Amino acid sequence: MVAFPYHLVKACGGIVFAAQGSDIHSFNSRLEHVSTWTYPHQHAAEATRPAEEAQDSPAPEGPPAKRRRVEDGDDATAPNGHGQQPSSNGQPRGSKAAQYDNPANERAFLQGLYATADGRHLIAITGCDKTIWVFEHDGAGHLKELSRRAMPKRPCALTLTRDNRTILSADKFGDVYALPLIPAAAPTPDSTSSPAAATPAALTPTIPLSRSETPVILRPEANELTVHTKRNLRALENQKISLERKAAREAEQLEPSRPRFEHALLLGHVSMLTAIAVGVAPSSSSSSSDPAAKTREYIVTADRDEHIRVSRGIPQAHVIEGFCLGHEDFVSRLCIAPGGREELLLSGGGDDDVLVWDWRGGRLLARAPVLQHVKQVKGLEEATKVAVTRVFATSKWHVTTDGTERTLVFIVAERVPALLVYELWPDNTLQHRCNIPLPGNPLDLDVLEGETSGPGNTSCRLVVALDPTQKGSSSATTEAEEEPGCRRRRATLMFMDNAGDEGKLVPVENLPAAGGADIGEAELHRLLYTTEALRKLTDYE
Amino acid sequence: MGGDKIRKDRRQKREDYRRAIRQDGVSELPRKKFYRQRAHANPFSDHQLIYPPHPDQMDWSSLFPDYVVADEEPQQPRRQQPDSSAAAPASSGAELAPLQPKRLSKEVEIADIGCGFGGLLVALAPTLPDTLMLGLEIRVSVTQFVEDRIQALRAQARRAAEAAEAEAEAAGSSPPPPAPGMYRNVGVLRANAMKFLPNFFRKGQLSKIFICFPDPHFKARKHKQRIVSATLNSEYAYVLRPGGIVYTITDVPDLHEWMVRHFEAHPSFERVPEPEQEADPCVAIMRTETEEGKKVERNKGQKHVALFRRLEDPEW
Repeated sequence: MVAFPYHLVKACGGIVFAAQGSDIHSFNSRLEHVSTWTYPHQHAAEATRPAEEAQDSPAPEGPPAKRRRVEDGDDATAPNGHGQQPSSNGQPRGSKAAQYDNPANERAFLQGLYATADGRHLIAITGCDKTIWVFEHDGAGHLKELSRRAMPKRPCALTLTRDNRTILSADKFGDVYALPLIPAAAPTPDSTSSPAAATPAALTPTIPLSRSETPVILRPEANELTVHTKRNLRALENQKISLERKAAREAEQLEPSRPRFEHALLLGHVSMLTAIAVGVAPSSSSSSSDPAAKTREYIVTADRDEHIRVSRGIPQAHVIEGFCLGHEDFVSRLCIAPGGREELLLSGGGDDDVLVWDWRGGRLLARAPVLQHVKQVKGLEEATKVAVTRVFATSKWHVTTDGTERTLVFIVAERVPALLVYELWPDNTLQHRCNIPLPGNPLDLDVLEGETSGPGNTSCRLVVALDPTQKGSSSATTEAEEEPGCRRRRATLMFMDNAGDEGKLVPVENLPAAGGADIGEAELHRLLYTTEALRKLTDYE
Repeated sequence: MGGDKIRKDRRQKREDYRRAIRQDGVSELPRKKFYRQRAHANPFSDHQLIYPPHPDQMDWSSLFPDYVVADEEPQQPRRQQPDSSAAAPASSGAELAPLQPKRLSKEVEIADIGCGFGGLLVALAPTLPDTLMLGLEIRVSVTQFVEDRIQALRAQARRAAEAAEAEAEAAGSSPPPPAPGMYRNVGVLRANAMKFLPNFFRKGQLSKIFICFPDPHFKARKHKQRIVSATLNSEYAYVLRPGGIVYTITDVPDLHEWMVRHFEAHPSFERVPEPEQEADPCVAIMRTETEEGKKVERNKGQKHVALFRRLEDPEW
């Protein structure tokens, strides 16, 4: 059994939020622990009960739409049979838990952490209950839960519109939904049946009919003229009978098939979405004279089937402007370049390279090798494939090469115990700068902006969450990691300042104690390392 | 046991036939009974599909050999690594791409999504002899049937033209012009159109899309697998040029209503009014020449037709 490592990092104002399992810890700019938000496991158990039961409860957020077979997520045992103690709410553990081999379905685990530009709101995704959480951040590291919305399908990634008022959630089923950051005060039952009615103009669905919308059907859609075999005719008879029964049932209770909050379907792929970004480009409209109206928002979405799609923003998200096609394996990460280079998109995934695009024109500009540099990491000389999990470009942190300033790009690949550092050059190429070896596999990173200590000299701090590995102590950057068999004390959150030595990350000391949730190593790996699994099986043959 | 034997026999028959048509130039049409396959395929599964990463890398030359631009040398496969000293970025997405396929003198303009046994394509080909049309079908052996059918029809047309020429020569008169198109303008591909349409077609490349007798997916739980949906319609709009038409036909009234509802609700489409619809020669062909259309005819079922025009995108 091992403790959860820190696995997500988000800088939010002067504060760093870091997720560990289902907890969110906050740290101030000196990386001292401030407070911790803990996932309400009791509520989760309620929320995952069948909708009929939960409907009586006055919870304003509403229950999730679909009945789910979920054990209490808190202490669900690893499928390998470790630990048979009863779960926290005292209920005996169901033996069924073992049959689910995807722990992300069962265990409360934060899958994403996002912040608004002003740092006043933090948004989190939990996978087991398909929920988007919005917190108000007081600016000092304390979170107040504002809303909890269970989506129709599990969100894979989300982003915010330019005005920071609308969340765009890309889900596992391929759809992108828009939902207001701050939901309307009291959703009435009316607004649930027709979300468009209560929606402000900006959120009016561009696609009024959702793909997953299922109207109440009172008769079979086939008829005697559309089926031709005896067996099908018999099936049709049975279908009619069962639909009549169903109609009678539904007459008594409202169909609970829709989430009871404002949400609008914007667009969809027939593929699992993996990443979403919002880009801004000059308007093609010639008539606008107002300079503020001269730029337009675009939604960039990536999927497991190698596509990167560029759609217009709200309210024309139904218009596909183009595709960035060139990946030959899944795409898992998108990054719009910062610092005046917003016309560039970096994308990574299961390919050997990270690609640089003119996303507006759908043109491939450059390829930057990743596998080649992964092979330079000690122990990975024989690597044959790579799964990029993070492409992080920062405009806050500039390096000067040959007298010119370059944007730094950090690339993380799954199970690779190093940060791959690149520079984005003015000719739109991405040049490898160095590898920073780490005493574990990096999982997430962000840059915390510090005080400005002089003209054009902002202090920056890169914070990295990592999964400490037993073997990967090649760099020997910390003393703590050398304690044998004591994994939980090993560095799981590290930092590096732009003023300090490049290539040397320092562990954050005095991390708060883990919230008690221990987990089997195998299950932990299935939670943390999900990207390589996006690769299609046929690729191996 | 018996099923296995039948399947094996069928495969044997298919292989024998395919060998014959390729090696011996047999032009007898393939027989459908050896190519039957379960009518449904899961569009969400990965399958083992072959598709280009980018439309520019699609090699159309084997599908439309008569339209290949002759004077171009096929280029060697390459993967160009961007040169750090090259300041100017590439001018097309394909320049960093591994392969430059042979070019055609024309582009595919008509797609039949879920073409089945290819009845519509075969009927459309002589009607629009100068337009390249492509059938997309997800089932392997059904795709093979259409491939073989096109091969056989081309061989037949060629032979008929040769015979006519020989006859004319013997009679001392000038040969009559060959039959329009001679099926050189039809092709078929195994593909999952729900996922990979933009891999084959560029923005606005198509003028017509046919969706004929699609899988109705009766169960409400399966509605998301339907070929027409609010989100997929955006992809049809992407590959269609403004003014292009989506043709739909089905014998299932509820599916018809579904398709009409979803296309009418989509801001990129408007329904084509009935008089215009009935004046379109493609509509008659769609009604009578598709395999399903014939089957519905035999069973005295209803046929519901709806056409939708791609509108210009508003300014952005």
